[in-house]
Amino acid sequence: MSNKPIVQLKNIKKSFFLPHEKHDTFIEYATKPWRLFKKEGEQFEVLKDIDLDIYPGEFIGIMGRNGSGKSTLLKIMAGIYEPTSGEVKIRGKVVPFLELGVGFNFELTGRENVYLNGIILGVKKSRLDRKYKEIVEFAELGKFMDVPMKNFSSGMQVRLAFSIAIMADADIYILDEVLAVGDVAFQKKCFDVFREYKDNGKTVILVTHSAESVRDFCDRALYLGDGILHEYDSVEGAIDEYING
Amino acid sequence: MLNYIELLRQFVVTDFKLRYKNSYLGILWIILKPLAMFGVIYLIWSNIFVMDESYRMSLLLGIIIMNLFSEAVLMGLTSLMNKAGIILKIKFPREVVVYSSVIISFLDFLFNMVVFLIFTIFTPINTTFLGILLFLLCILSIFILTLGLSEFLSVIFIKLKDIHNLMIVILQLIFWMTPVYYTLDMLPENLQRYIKLNPLTTIVTYARKGLIMGDSIRVQDFMQVGIVLLISLLVFLLGRMFFKNRVTKIAEYF
Repeated sequence: MSNKPIVQLKNIKKSFFLPHEKHDTFIEYATKPWRLFKKEGEQFEVLKDIDLDIYPGEFIGIMGRNGSGKSTLLKIMAGIYEPTSGEVKIRGKVVPFLELGVGFNFELTGRENVYLNGIILGVKKSRLDRKYKEIVEFAELGKFMDVPMKNFSSGMQVRLAFSIAIMADADIYILDEVLAVGDVAFQKKCFDVFREYKDNGKTVILVTHSAESVRDFCDRALYLGDGILHEYDSVEGAIDEYING
Repeated sequence: MLNYIELLRQFVVTDFKLRYKNSYLGILWIILKPLAMFGVIYLIWSNIFVMDESYRMSLLLGIIIMNLFSEAVLMGLTSLMNKAGIILKIKFPREVVVYSSVIISFLDFLFNMVVFLIFTIFTPINTTFLGILLFLLCILSIFILTLGLSEFLSVIFIKLKDIHNLMIVILQLIFWMTPVYYTLDMLPENLQRYIKLNPLTTIVTYARKGLIMGDSIRVQDFMQVGIVLLISLLVFLLGRMFFKNRVTKIAEYF
């Protein structure tokens, strides 16, 4: 483990503007025309002060209630949102799996979607050509690849999406609750992949509600509550905080 | 850089393919649609409003170019919004989305030009090597200009949806401020001056001159188009700066 953090968050704050939409009548607009331009609302601070250093090879679990800002935090690390204030430093290639099958189009066939989704994830076309067979095999979709995706079952879609996702080569993987997909057999395969990431010294940031996966994989677990990351001595501390409040 | 180009190609091919998916005639529509539309215009202008032959092709070319301009601008405007689902999940160079949609309107233009060439069987045009060069410079100007405009508009559209309706009206206005259905000399002189300020007037005029009346080209014609090309480049550079500066800040407004 090198001593230079691969992900560095310093005093991250993020707030969103929450508009209060009241359905105004025409009369109200006519008498107070400025309301057309000035939307009413409030600033809502999701992340108050986040400090986090992640070192190469760490497998980090982040837990927290719904709406606690986990996804916002991941999006900031993935470079999708800009923090309201604070500093983000990333040293390496990030592949975020905030959702599986980003860009999938259901009119296109399985094969076409492999290339579409793969390239969006930053996988080179030549690599996809090489790995195509492997992807199809992993997804167990051999004879369906030339069928439009709208005729796939949702389980099949997710399996294909996951199989493409694991072809993406990165230093840092950001996973947002994508573990709970497919049947038990497929889940086991996914867990094997995560274990492989771990063994290969990849850095993984996992957001999940499952205490079990945190116990199984994570070296460090954090609890996100009230816009602040709480760190504990052991993984159990965060799990306990998450379960018992 | 490689991924940048692969991504661009992927978006162009996918979106182009999707347009004709699920229709019986499929990809045939690319040629069929302009063929039918220009056929209507051609028939009307050659039978009902009788005009001299070269004007028919001028009219067609003018319409094709104006269509290209408004399609490219409108598709560029909605491009970021249409890809919101991807933009909110993955970080990639956002401008790829804008460029791909403008490129798609240029692919449409390419097929429109194929149809235009079919019509030259009935009404021959008169072009030269220099004429084609002038024409291509005009098209390059529109390309750069629409890329630049799209970089502004796509970002503004995220926060201000009204810009879409506004642009439809403005494009209509620009269409009538460009000599497509009329020629410059039909206008009173003081009005001509304003119409000439419109860069599309220059583009349409010299694209026609290059492709349809190619034997009368002079150096000044290239100078005129060169000025428009420079203006387009300026719009593009400003658009690029605006886009770069704004695009990461708008993710949460989708």
